[in-house]
Amino acid sequence: MTIHRFPFRAMAAEHELQVAGLDRASAARAAAAAIADVHRIEAKYSRYTPDSVTTAINRAAGRAAVPVDDETLALLRYADQCWRISDGAFDVTSGVLRRAWRFGAKPPRVPTVAEVDAARALIGWNRVELGAHDVRLPTAGMEIDFGGIGKEYAADRAATLLASHGVAHALVNLGGDVRALGGQPDGRPWRIGIVHPRKPGAVIGELDVVDGAIATSGDYQRFIEVDGARYAHILDPRTGWPVAHWQSASVVAPVCTLAGSLATIAMLRRDAPAFLDAQRVTYLLVDEKGRRVAPAGLS
Amino acid sequence: MAATDAGAAEASQPHHRAPGDAGADRGDAVPRTTAAASGARRGPDAATLLAAALALPGVMPAAALAQTAPDQGIVAMRYFDYRDWQPGAERMNVHSPSLYLLKPLSDSLSFEGSVVYDAMSGASPLYHNTLSGASGVGITEYRTAGDARITKYYDRFAVGGGVAYSSERDYLSRAWSVDLRTWTADKNRTWAFGVGGARDNINPVNGITQGRHRETYDLLVGVTQNINANAVVQSNVTYTDGRGYYDDPYKPFDRRPDTRRVWAWLTRYNQYVPSADATLRLSYRLLLDSWGANSSTIDAEWVQALPHGFTVTPGLRYITQQHADFYRDPPLGNGLRPGQPYTADTRLSAFGAFTPSVRLGKQFADGWSADIAMSVYRQKSSWHLGGEGSPGLLEFSARWFELGVQKTF
Repeated sequence: MTIHRFPFRAMAAEHELQVAGLDRASAARAAAAAIADVHRIEAKYSRYTPDSVTTAINRAAGRAAVPVDDETLALLRYADQCWRISDGAFDVTSGVLRRAWRFGAKPPRVPTVAEVDAARALIGWNRVELGAHDVRLPTAGMEIDFGGIGKEYAADRAATLLASHGVAHALVNLGGDVRALGGQPDGRPWRIGIVHPRKPGAVIGELDVVDGAIATSGDYQRFIEVDGARYAHILDPRTGWPVAHWQSASVVAPVCTLAGSLATIAMLRRDAPAFLDAQRVTYLLVDEKGRRVAPAGLS
Repeated sequence: MAATDAGAAEASQPHHRAPGDAGADRGDAVPRTTAAASGARRGPDAATLLAAALALPGVMPAAALAQTAPDQGIVAMRYFDYRDWQPGAERMNVHSPSLYLLKPLSDSLSFEGSVVYDAMSGASPLYHNTLSGASGVGITEYRTAGDARITKYYDRFAVGGGVAYSSERDYLSRAWSVDLRTWTADKNRTWAFGVGGARDNINPVNGITQGRHRETYDLLVGVTQNINANAVVQSNVTYTDGRGYYDDPYKPFDRRPDTRRVWAWLTRYNQYVPSADATLRLSYRLLLDSWGANSSTIDAEWVQALPHGFTVTPGLRYITQQHADFYRDPPLGNGLRPGQPYTADTRLSAFGAFTPSVRLGKQFADGWSADIAMSVYRQKSSWHLGGEGSPGLLEFSARWFELGVQKTF
C-alpha cells in the first residue's frame, strides 16, 4: 500500500504528513484540510502577525482583560496544568527571556545578571488572570507565548482531521513533533528515529508507535558558545538561566501536546527519569555526556 | 514490494560520475568532475539528472570549447524542478535553484563557477518513517554543491583546473580536475586530455555503517573536428576507476563490489541545416561497466530558430541498459548468497527508457536570454533493446522542468 507524502512549510519550519490507505486524490484532500488547519493555528497564535490572538493579549498587558474563544481558553488551561505539574518550570509567560538572551546576536554574548532579572520580573504564569472567557496579563511588558504548545497542538489536530477524512494510517511530523495513527498499512508500527543531539544527520535511537505521539526537546537547536562554554536556549523560567541536564529528551505519549510539554519539562529537571516514570510515559533521554537513558526494559 | 520501492532509476545512467560526461555534453571536451552525482545514496539520480539537465547542450554556454578566452562574462540563474513516481511507491520531489558565473579575468584567463542548492523531499523510504528532533530534521533533505574552474589560454592550447564539492546529510564529495586542450593552426581540430579525482565520504543516517569512503580517478581523451562550416563531430573516450564503498546502505541486503571501472565512448555530431535555419544534434554513448550494467544511449535534438529571437528544440533520448551482474530479480532476497554481491536496485536492472523533451528559448536585447524546458522520462523493462528486460518491475516515470535566465556582461 502506498504511503502518500505531503511536505509543507509553516511556522518557519519543515513539516510533513504521511497518509496511507487511500488513493492519492483522497489522501491529498485530507492532507489539504489538515495543512489548512496548521496554517490557521499558526496565524491565530503567531507572535508576529498584528491580528493574532497572541498579539491582542500581549498588547493589552497591564490594561484590560482580552476576551478569548474556547480554543484559546482550552490551551491556556492546559498551560496552567503544565505549570502546576512542573512546579513552574513550564511557563508560557517566559518568552520575555528572549530579550535578555539573544541567541541570534553576533557576536554572541551572555546577558548580565541585571538584564536577566529585568526579564524575570515579567515572568509568572501564577500572576496571569485567567477568567471564564477572558485573560489578562497584569503588568505591561508581560507576554504569552504559545510556542511551547502550538506546534504540538497543531499536530494533534492535524491527525484528528485526517481521521475525520477516513484516514486510518497516518504520520504527522510538524518540525520534529510527531503524531501517529494506526501504524503502517502493512501492520508494522511507525518507526520513528530520534535525531542525534551532537551528530548532524545521525540517529541516536528509535521508538515504535502505532497510535500516539513523540516529541523531542533538545539543546542543539539554538545555542551560543562564549569563552568555550555552551549556553543552550533551554532556559529555566524560575532562574532565567540555561540548564544543561540533558542534551535531548524524547517522550512518547498518547497525544503530541502532552508529549511536547513533558519533553520540555524533562529538559529542565535533573530528575527527569523519575518525573517521566511517574507520568507513566515512555521516553529516551540523552544526558550531558551523551549517554542514553530510557525506562528499564526498553532497548 | 522491494523492487518497487527501490526508488528512482538513473535516468541518465551514462552520466553517472564519469568525468567527461557532463563536460562533454556541454560541447566541451574536457573532464568535468562535477559536483552533481551521488553514487550510493538513496535519493538518486535526481542529482545525476540535474547534472544531466545542466549539461544539456545549449543550456550552459560552451565556454570551454572556445579556443580564446571569453571577452564577455555570463551570469545565469536556473531553477530545476523534478518529480518522479512509480505505481505503489513514493514520489520524490527535488527543487533546485542554481547560479552560474563565467568571468574573464584577463585576455587569456577565465573563471567559471556555479552553486546549486537542492531541496529534496519524499525520497525513497528512510530506514525510519520519520525523525523526531528539536529542529525538525529529516523531512526535507538539503544538498549544496559548487564548483569552480580557471582556464588559461595560449596560442595553440589551453589549460584548466577545477574543484567541485557536494554536501548533504549523509554524503560529502570533493573533486578536482585538470585538462589540456590543443588545436591545429587552422583551429579545425581540437584534442582534449583530462584527468580528475574525487573522494567521497558516506555516513548513512541509519547508522548501519559509518565513515566510509570512496575514491575515483578519471581520464579523458577526446577530439573535436570541424567537418565544414556547418558540421562538427566530437568523440571522447573516458575511463573511470573507483574503489571504496559502493553499497546502498538504505536498501536491505545491498552489497556491491568495492571497485568499479567504467569505459564510456561518446560521439556527437552537430549539423547546421541552412535551408531550415536549424541544427540537428545527434549523439551516441556506449558505456561498458565492470559491474555489467552496460548501456547505450542515443540522443537527437532539432534546434529550430524562429522569428523574433525564439528557438524551439524538441528532443528525444533513448537508453537501453543491461542489468548489473549482481542484480537479482524480485522477490527481495532471491539469489542472495553470503559473501556475494547483491542488489535489488532498479537502477541496476535491465531496462529501456525514453525521454522526450522540448525547450523554448528567447534572446532579448542587451545580452539577456531566457529559456524554459520540459522533459518526461519513462522507463520499462520491456523497452530494453532485445526485449530481455528485468522481470517483475513496475514502470518508473519522472518529469522535470527548468527555467533559466542569463545575462552576458
